Amino acid sequence: MQKYISQHNLNTLLDKLIAAGTRVVAPRMNTGTPLYEPLTSSSEMITDQLPRRSAKEAFFPVCEDIMTYEKEGQKVSVSDIDPARFPETVLVGVRPCDAAAIPVLDAVFSWDYKDEFFLERRRKTTIVGLACTTADDACFCSAVGLSPAETKGSDLFLTPLEGGGYACETFSEKGETLIANHPELFSEPNNAPPLPLAQPQTEKFDLKRVKAWLDEHFEDPSWDSIATRCVGCGACAFVCPACHCFDIVDEGTEKAGTRRKNWDACGFWKFTHHASGHNPRDQQPKRYRNRIMHKFKYYDDKFGQTLCSGCGRCIRVCPVGIDIAAIVDEIGKK
Amino acid sequence: MCDNTNKNIYLPYLATVAEIIDETPDVRTLKLVFQDEQVRESFAFRAGQFGEYSAFGAGESTFCIASSPTRKGFIECCFRSVGRVTEELRRLEVGDTMGVRGPYGNSFPIEEFYGKNLVFVAGGIALPPLRTLIWNCLDLRDKFGDITIVYGARTESDLVYKRELQEWQERADVRLVKTVDPGGNGPEWDGRVGFVPTILEEAAPSAENTIALVCGPPVMIKFTLPVLEKLGFSDEQVYTTLENRMKCGLGKCGRCNVGNVYVCKDGPVFTAKQVKAMPVEF
Ligand SMILES: Cc1cc2nc3c(=O)[nH]c(=O)nc-3n(C[C@H](O)[C@H](O)[C@H](O)COP(=O)(O)OP(=O)(O)OC[C@H]3O[C@@H](n4cnc5c(N)ncnc54)[C@H](O)[C@@H]3O)c2cc1C
Ligand code: SF4
Ligand code: SF4
Ligand code: FES
Repeated sequence: MQKYISQHNLNTLLDKLIAAGTRVVAPRMNTGTPLYEPLTSSSEMITDQLPRRSAKEAFFPVCEDIMTYEKEGQKVSVSDIDPARFPETVLVGVRPCDAAAIPVLDAVFSWDYKDEFFLERRRKTTIVGLACTTADDACFCSAVGLSPAETKGSDLFLTPLEGGGYACETFSEKGETLIANHPELFSEPNNAPPLPLAQPQTEKFDLKRVKAWLDEHFEDPSWDSIATRCVGCGACAFVCPACHCFDIVDEGTEKAGTRRKNWDACGFWKFTHHASGHNPRDQQPKRYRNRIMHKFKYYDDKFGQTLCSGCGRCIRVCPVGIDIAAIVDEIGKK
Repeated sequence: MCDNTNKNIYLPYLATVAEIIDETPDVRTLKLVFQDEQVRESFAFRAGQFGEYSAFGAGESTFCIASSPTRKGFIECCFRSVGRVTEELRRLEVGDTMGVRGPYGNSFPIEEFYGKNLVFVAGGIALPPLRTLIWNCLDLRDKFGDITIVYGARTESDLVYKRELQEWQERADVRLVKTVDPGGNGPEWDGRVGFVPTILEEAAPSAENTIALVCGPPVMIKFTLPVLEKLGFSDEQVYTTLENRMKCGLGKCGRCNVGNVYVCKDGPVFTAKQVKAMPVEF
């Protein structure tokens, strides 16, 4: 379904949703940092800056309760989480690189055992993507086969138009329902041309060749030079829309507390450290190799997908300037 | 889209500590009985599978299920105290409650071993993952040929399941070769003295129609595999388990992989052939 919505009507839509009790999550400023967060008013939404962290946390929060326990003498009772914790949500203004990573994560959270924390939020959330008009020199979505107009992952996709407003296109029943519930705010598509899209500069990777090299080169001297600088801070994993590793920890007292699922990173030395002191990835280059392998080989082997959507965040945050796009580009040319 | 809607895969079953057995000064066996009657009846596992055991407030630890699937109504785990969770589990007393998730992972293909001779080779604290299979096989004794167990530890007091070693030693249908490292033997020691690989070579079990099952510290495995090869075992005849650090046990948390193999899902049981095809990341 194709429609048009003005900026004014989009704001009205968000405010109506908020007033009706729907959780509306969009990029907003939090003390100087743009983040995907719940809005209290449409006026808080910003569209000109890439949020510092990705949209994955709308489904897979940094820190999440997975149960609570209470002890009484020798007895312990555990409580499941309250499903009311997952409200109907509309996620708006999502960058194409962020939206595209979400269905990629479906694979790991739904194969075999089902992680209902992720999947229930997926069911309850409508994703409204927004075509991207601003790229910086870290962006490389087009190099991994996506684009600033990529609609993958979006239920409804907005393209900003010359003269204001957005062309709307639906890609699922959820997207159609959002329009059908507010018909007065949408009109028939007009002929205004779209605003010029962002133009990421990186050349397209040959992901097949990248994988073919990774298939054969777990052991290779170049890993040492690729990641000698990496300090294992884990920042790259924490900003990534596709990293999904987590830890499970108990937080509480002797009497009562919570078990939590917290983001983790394969760049941390403790990630694979055995209690015996043995560590299969005992040096930083081995940990960085796992990062590249997981994204461009293992996830492909397992689920047929690449675990990177080229958002460039890890390049922007890395304190020692490690550039995954340059690394992958080079691997593809070996 | 999904067959277990609204089920929280991270929620453990509750189990009561029914018995505590100290195997060595720092290794302890807990016998556990599920509190929910339905779980008690429905919990089914195969030898080689593992669980996530929790001490509430401290967290979860990964141990194999050390009892045999042929012994019903309870499970056992056997662990060494090395850190936060295991120290807390050690504080539990009979009657206390702990959490168990599982069973997870693959298992030993015991049906494929029917009609064959078995050689178990274990070192130190790594007997539990084989002990489940040993009892499984002994409880189905007539389905197997000769059963040989080569087990060693650093010192006499580091041997786990001492009472069961005694029992196996007395059985006519089991050949037990127990050993301690040089210097680890006391005056009463009635076993061999020497490292496991050496003792295995001396015991020289025939590779003919035989499966070898090997669990132990990495260095023991490293020196045991060439001995087995010398004795004529092919890499398909040799099984072992990997113990990469785990959290979820469910193929989600991304922690346990060796290359593209998820030890929690594809393992922990592998043939030597499979292990040799993996990158060295364990
Ligand atoms: C499939 C499988 C089966 C297993 N079966 C068994 C079994 O049957 N029996 C058994 O005993 N074990 C078994 N293990 C190993 C067992 O899981 C670990 O020994 C156990 O989880 C350790 O738990 P813990 O919480 O007590 O240790 P932790 O509290 O996690 O302590 C050890 C960890 O703490 C960290 N640490 C330690 N010292 C320091 C330090 N100085 N500074 C910072 N960090 C530090 C390290 O990351 C180390 O890995 C198995 C493992 C696997 C994967
Ligand atoms: S690996 Fe880097 S560029 Fe790729 S999706 Fe993650 S943060 Fe973005
Ligand atoms: S952000 Fe940079 S230094 Fe930090 S873990 Fe990632 S690659 Fe290493
Ligand atoms: S233990 Fe979490 S993926 Fe294997």
